[in-house]
Amino acid sequence: MFYRLSGIHHTRYESARQLWPIPMDRWQIYVLLALGLAAPLLFSGLYLTSYLLPWLIMSAAALSLTLLMGIAGQLHFGFAAVMAIGAYSSIHLVRAGVPFELALLGAGAIAAVIGSVFGAAALRVKGLYLVMATLAMQYLVDWTIINVPAISGGAQATLQTPAVRFLFMPLASDVSRYYLALGWVVLVTLLILNIKRTSLGRALVAVRDKDFAAAVIGVDTVKYKLLAFFTSSFLGGVTGAVLAFCYYRAVTPEQFTFNVSIQLVAMVLVGGLGSVLGAYLGAGFVLLVPIVLTNVVAFLAGAGWLSVSTNLLAHIPLMVYGALIIGFLLFEPLGLAKIYDNIRNYFLVWPFRHSRS
Amino acid sequence: MKRFIKGLAAAAVLTTAGLGAAQAQKAPIKFGLLLDFTAVYTFLTNEYSQGQRDYLTLINDQGGINGHRVEGIVVDHGNQPQRGIEAYNRVSRDGAVLVDFLSTPVSRAMVNRVLDDKIVMITALHGRGDASDGEVFPYIFPLMATYWSQAALLAEYIEQHGGGLKGKKIAHVYIDSPFGREPLPILQDLAKEKGFDLRTFPYASPGNEQSATWSEVRRFRPDYVFIWGAGGGQSVSVREAIRNGIKPDQILSVVWLAETDMRTVGEQRAKGVKRFEAVATGTDLPLIKEILAKVVDAGKGAGPRENVGTTYYNIGVATMAASVEAARLALEKFGAPLTGDKLRQGFEMIKDFDAQGLMPPVTFSQKDHQGGGRGRVSQWNGSAWEPVTDWHAAYQELVWREIHRDSAKFKESR
Repeated sequence: MFYRLSGIHHTRYESARQLWPIPMDRWQIYVLLALGLAAPLLFSGLYLTSYLLPWLIMSAAALSLTLLMGIAGQLHFGFAAVMAIGAYSSIHLVRAGVPFELALLGAGAIAAVIGSVFGAAALRVKGLYLVMATLAMQYLVDWTIINVPAISGGAQATLQTPAVRFLFMPLASDVSRYYLALGWVVLVTLLILNIKRTSLGRALVAVRDKDFAAAVIGVDTVKYKLLAFFTSSFLGGVTGAVLAFCYYRAVTPEQFTFNVSIQLVAMVLVGGLGSVLGAYLGAGFVLLVPIVLTNVVAFLAGAGWLSVSTNLLAHIPLMVYGALIIGFLLFEPLGLAKIYDNIRNYFLVWPFRHSRS
Repeated sequence: MKRFIKGLAAAAVLTTAGLGAAQAQKAPIKFGLLLDFTAVYTFLTNEYSQGQRDYLTLINDQGGINGHRVEGIVVDHGNQPQRGIEAYNRVSRDGAVLVDFLSTPVSRAMVNRVLDDKIVMITALHGRGDASDGEVFPYIFPLMATYWSQAALLAEYIEQHGGGLKGKKIAHVYIDSPFGREPLPILQDLAKEKGFDLRTFPYASPGNEQSATWSEVRRFRPDYVFIWGAGGGQSVSVREAIRNGIKPDQILSVVWLAETDMRTVGEQRAKGVKRFEAVATGTDLPLIKEILAKVVDAGKGAGPRENVGTTYYNIGVATMAASVEAARLALEKFGAPLTGDKLRQGFEMIKDFDAQGLMPPVTFSQKDHQGGGRGRVSQWNGSAWEPVTDWHAAYQELVWREIHRDSAKFKESR
């Protein structure tokens, strides 16, 4: 019904191969993009800066990680460290007088180089062993930042982001910061969607599914594994810089700890490995559900419906959150994106009962 | 008809006037107490928050501040900056004039925001030490002795009561985080100036396992040991120190060492351990007695009675006592409605306020937001913390040199 396929004839290769060949999908994207563009008019400052903005930036981070974990199949448990490298590099570059636009690219490049060095471990090890190698990266980067005052910013270990301009626009208001984040996440989304349907994407998937089988059919696994780490770390580094400049406005080592890496992995897994939509849903779930739950519980307590100690009150959201994660993954192990996909598949053939996948 | 409209208008005027008066009388003052109940600071948040809320209940039962109730909005942020930002945006929209995060990472991420929004942020015993410089950080109040002042005071204690600093070997054993490293510049400067031998020994966060570090400390044979951690790591430090042949009275701790830690180590075993104290501990204080009588025994307490008078409970009471005093001064001088800017000036009017002996007398000014940096050293006597010095400050010129050095850097980058 909604996803009507009848009457849609692709008469040229370009139209059949476009990103969203079904009009319904295309319209959804247009509506979402329009919503994103109009958000500063639709939402108050509170929702724009404390919900939408972090959600978009963390979606970009989850997208960068899903390229590595979902598409190329290389586990990475130190992605917060990659973002930290990007954030710190960008601030130090801007302070050294580099224009912000170039500093963003530089942050990505530095993160990509360091990320690929650790990613080189992936050439030898797989699975849990790779997790250990990336964990080492997390702790080494944390240690370096904390112990080198030139990086962390002295005894207070806090670096304020300098005032910058992006393409001649001063990045001074919430709205301008929001649009920069929106622009970045749209760019990353388009990039990942396109990577998935190019030879690079297919090679990465081949490496993910069986690396020696990929080698047999002529895919250079060394090259593609390194390429996956390089690309993903580049995107992660720029996202870290965007996070620092658009959202936190001050970086401290605690913003990029191991917990954040785990949250990023959780975003990718809860959303659905390798799915672009899943990165958005996963980031939204991991980032916003605890906040919403805390507010709901606080509201209930304020209305007098929950009279328990403050300590228990603070922990109720955590319990519900944990139960929700388990619940969603039991309901659909392939993640939130798969739930949407199931609904879409149902409507693709509705009113008939069976969909192909 | 005309009369009806006139009557309606009169009624409307009356109601608005009445409502206005009622509102002026009631308009509550909102404090955002956005704390970490679930992640890293759990070791103190419960008691701290209980103290804050009990004190606010006491004030509100007495009619508030000149008729204004003080409303504490308590929210958990789990030590995550993004949740802290959300909570902050929410309470600032709701009109909060003061925020307290009790979390160094979160409050550091907030510095630019509160300075832009002109909302007072109190950072008692956490946050940036250089925020004591009120000229650079007009809306941030560390309220109590910063970590730099604490380190200076502990060193001064050795100079005065521990046989002088000259030639002594002092080990600084700290959690490997920005917090643990914070006192290093002060200690290094002091070592140079006073001629003692300072060695630093980091242990990995969160500090449940420190044995490797302490066997190194043992080889150094220190005369005194500073332990600089928080939460569970502190009792591990004390236990490991004693096991490695360091006598309890050679151990001096940062402010984060409480009754529970001593119980974990063993009350008798830890006898003699000293710590920095920013706020008096115990229930034998006029203000705490008043809270016990009017709030806790009246059944309005925010938590269990046995928490009243603990180290962290009293710190919570002290933060709110100073904040309420500032709000009172601001309202007296400028009148309602209270804004962040008025509250800041209220803080800067506080002179020699000691909350009836609960805390050292603090005086804030436009320049000094630390309030003098006073504190005292107290010693565990096997069942309670016993003060061994009077309230005083130490080497403040050195501390302020450090404060100015860092705040200048901040100013430059802002």
